[in-house]
Amino acid sequence: MAGGYAGKFLRVNLTEGSWSDFTLGDDILKMFIGGSCLAAKLFLDRYPLDADPLSPENPLMIMTGPMVGSGFPGTSRFSVCARSPQTGIWAESACGGTFGPDLKRAGYDGVVIEGRSNGPVILAIDDSGVSISDASSLWGKDIYEATDELKTRDKSAKVLVIGPAGENLARIAAIGNDKGHFSGRAGLGAVMGSKNLKAVVVRGTSAKAVKADGEGFKLAMKTAMQEIKDSALAEGLHMMGSDANMDLGMVTGDVPVKNWTSGGEFDLASNLSGPTMREKYLTKAHACTNCPIACKRVVKVDDGPFATAEGPGPEYETCAVFGTMLMNPDLTAVIKANELCNRYGMDTISCGSAIALAMELYEKGEITKDRLGGLDLSWGNMDAVLELVRQTAYREGFGDILADGAVHAARRLGGSAMDAVVHVKGLEAPMHDPRGFHGMGLAYMMSNRGACHLQHFVLATEQGMASWPQLFDMKDDYEGTTSVGKAALVYNSENYGILANSLSICHYVAYSIRPETLRDAFNAITGFGFDFADLLSTGMRDWTLKRGFNNLLGITSKDDVLPKRAMTALEEGGAAGSVPDTALLLKEYYALRALDERGFPKAEMLVRLGLDDLKSRLYQ
Amino acid sequence: MPIKAMTQEWMDAYKAAIQADPDYKSIAKDWEGSVSLVVNPEPARNVPEPIYLFMDYWHGDVGDFVVCDKEKADSAKFVMTGDYARWKQVAYKELDATKALLQGKLKMKGDLPYVVRNIKTVNKVIDILGKVDTLWPDGNK
Ligand code: SF4
Repeated sequence: MAGGYAGKFLRVNLTEGSWSDFTLGDDILKMFIGGSCLAAKLFLDRYPLDADPLSPENPLMIMTGPMVGSGFPGTSRFSVCARSPQTGIWAESACGGTFGPDLKRAGYDGVVIEGRSNGPVILAIDDSGVSISDASSLWGKDIYEATDELKTRDKSAKVLVIGPAGENLARIAAIGNDKGHFSGRAGLGAVMGSKNLKAVVVRGTSAKAVKADGEGFKLAMKTAMQEIKDSALAEGLHMMGSDANMDLGMVTGDVPVKNWTSGGEFDLASNLSGPTMREKYLTKAHACTNCPIACKRVVKVDDGPFATAEGPGPEYETCAVFGTMLMNPDLTAVIKANELCNRYGMDTISCGSAIALAMELYEKGEITKDRLGGLDLSWGNMDAVLELVRQTAYREGFGDILADGAVHAARRLGGSAMDAVVHVKGLEAPMHDPRGFHGMGLAYMMSNRGACHLQHFVLATEQGMASWPQLFDMKDDYEGTTSVGKAALVYNSENYGILANSLSICHYVAYSIRPETLRDAFNAITGFGFDFADLLSTGMRDWTLKRGFNNLLGITSKDDVLPKRAMTALEEGGAAGSVPDTALLLKEYYALRALDERGFPKAEMLVRLGLDDLKSRLYQ
Repeated sequence: MPIKAMTQEWMDAYKAAIQADPDYKSIAKDWEGSVSLVVNPEPARNVPEPIYLFMDYWHGDVGDFVVCDKEKADSAKFVMTGDYARWKQVAYKELDATKALLQGKLKMKGDLPYVVRNIKTVNKVIDILGKVDTLWPDGNK
C-alpha cells in the first residue's frame, strides 16, 4: 500500500440507503494520486457521463489526497467533484478547512455518493462506522445555523453542509465546511441538494491520519515551515488575506470594474482592499487545519446599515465581485454580502457576476424596476443587491433568473445580455482580467471546469508571486499585457498547479515553498520517488483526463474562446488598450498539449500518459 | 553625462529627478517615512562592499537622500535588501520590485500593508530611478 492513503474509499447509495467500502490499487493511485484527478478517473470508469447533473445518476465525490492528514502545511484540503449542473461539464471545487484530515482520520480517502434519498438526510462517518439519518429538522436552515446545530450534537464533528440555495437547486449553490470554507464553484451544492443530502458529518479519532514521521518527512516539514516564515507572500497573506491583491491588481489591470467595462478605479479599490479590511474590520486571522499562513479573515462590522456579527470575512474574489464589479465602495456591504452568500450557500463569484449583469441591463433599460419587483438596481445600490442575493438563494422573483448563474440568466433575458457576461464554457470568470494578464486569458480558455484561476498556478507565475526556474523555463518577470511566450508559461503552470488539487495542497502554501520541498514531502509521504518530470507528467495526465471527459460531453476547440466582453479593450487602467492574442496563444498551446484541430488530445499523447481507455472512447 | 550608481552624486540626481517629476507630488501625497536600500556586495560585479542608501519621503516631498552607514539605513521605516544584480534589474525594469519581494529576490523590513496601500508611490519612485542617467559598476546594458 502506497504511503499517505487511508487505504479505502466509501461508496454510499442514498436511493438504497446502503454503503460499502472499496479499494484501489497502488498502480491507480500512483497514476492519478488523489483529489479531483482520482475522482475524474473513477467517474470515467464507473458512471455515465451524460446523466443529468441533478439526477441520482450523477455521483458526488468528496476526495482527499495522500498529503492530507500528514500535518504538512496547507494539506487540509479536499475536492468535491461531479458533473456540473451549471456548465454541464466536469466540475471540481477544492476546499480548505477542517473536513479533509478528519475524513482521513475516520479511515477514508474519499467518499462517492450516488442516488437520491427520499427525504433530507445526513451522512455521518466516523471510525466506528457510517450512518444515514433524517435531516428534516435541518432542511431550510442556513449553513451557519445547520453547522451550529450539528456541532451542538457533536462538538468535534467536521461538517459539510448546504444552505437554502443548494436545497432550491440553484445551479450556483456552494457547499460549506465549518462556516468559513467553501466548495464554491460550478454548482456542487445543487448536486448535493438534488440528492436530498443536507450534510456530511465526519469525526475521525485516530491520532494521525497518515503515517508521516520519517526523517525525510521531518526535514521537508522543517524546510517548508522556514520557507513560509521567510516568504513575503505568506506574510502578506497572513496580514491582508487574499484581498492584498485589490490595490496591487488595480494598478496592474487585474481587477474587473463595473461588469468588466472599466479600470483604474484606485479610490474604489483602496476602500475595498486588504489593508482597509485589516485596519477597520479584522478581528483575527484564521487558518485551515495545519496552516501557518492563516490567510482567512474573521471580521466584524459593529454598526451602520451593514452591521455584521463576527464571522468569516470575504476573500479578494468576493471584494471584487461585490465591490468593484458593482461600483460599490463600501466594504461593510461586501462583508454583509459575503455573510449572506455563506449562509445561503452560494458561490460569491457566480452570484455577484449575475447581479453585475442585471445591474448593467438595468442601466441600459433592458430590465425594468417592475421586473425586479420594485428594486432599484442602480450601480452601487447595495440594499437592492443584498435583497437580490436573498431572492437568488430562494429562487424568488427575479432571483429565480439569477439562481443558475450569469450564463443561464443571460439566455433567459436575451437582448444584449450574453455579450455582457465574461465566462468560458458556462462558468463566470473569477476576478482576474485577461486583458491585464493574457496568460490568464489562455488559462481561462483551457481550464477544464470553465474560466478558472484555481486549476493551475498561472496567477502565481504570470503575476510574479512565485518563480520556479528549476521546474521549467521561466523568465524573471512577465509583462501582463503581452501574449508572447505565455502559452508555454500557462502549459507548465497548469502541469504543476493542477497537482495542487490531486495532492490536495493549498495554492498559497505551494506558492510560498520551493518545488523541491513539496516534491520531497510528497515522496516522503507516498514513497513514490517522483522527480520533477514525474510530477509534471502527472499534471499532464490530470489535465488530459479531464479534457477527455469534457470532449466526451461535446467540448471541442470551438469552446476554447474568450467572450466578446473580455476581448474588448478598456480605455483606462493597467490593462488599457490590451486584449489577448487568442490565435497565437491557442496555436502554441495546442501544439504543447498535443491537441488536434477538434481540440481532442491526440491518440499518441493519450497512450504516452497511460490513458488508453480514454483513447478507446475518444477514438472509437 | 552618466553618474556613477549608488554614489552621493547619484543620490542627489535621483532626488532632483523625483522633485522634477510632474506627477510625483500628487501620487505620493499619502506616503510618510524613510526608505533605505541595502545593496549586498557582489565583488565579481565590482561591488566589493555593501552599500547603504537612505531616502526620506514625506507627503510628496523629499528630505535626506544620502549614502549612509548601516546604522542609519537600519533606522529607516522601510529597509529593503537585495543583491546588487537584483537592484540593477529593478532599475532597468527587468524585474518588478513587488514581484522581487514576493519571490524573495528582495527582502523588506517594514509595514507590508502600508506598502501595498501605497503601491502607486512605490512604482513611481522606481520608474523615476530608471530615468536617472546611470553608470553601473559592472557596466551598462
Ligand atoms: S493559506 Fe489560507 S487557504 Fe491556504 S491552507 Fe492556509 S489558511 Fe487555508
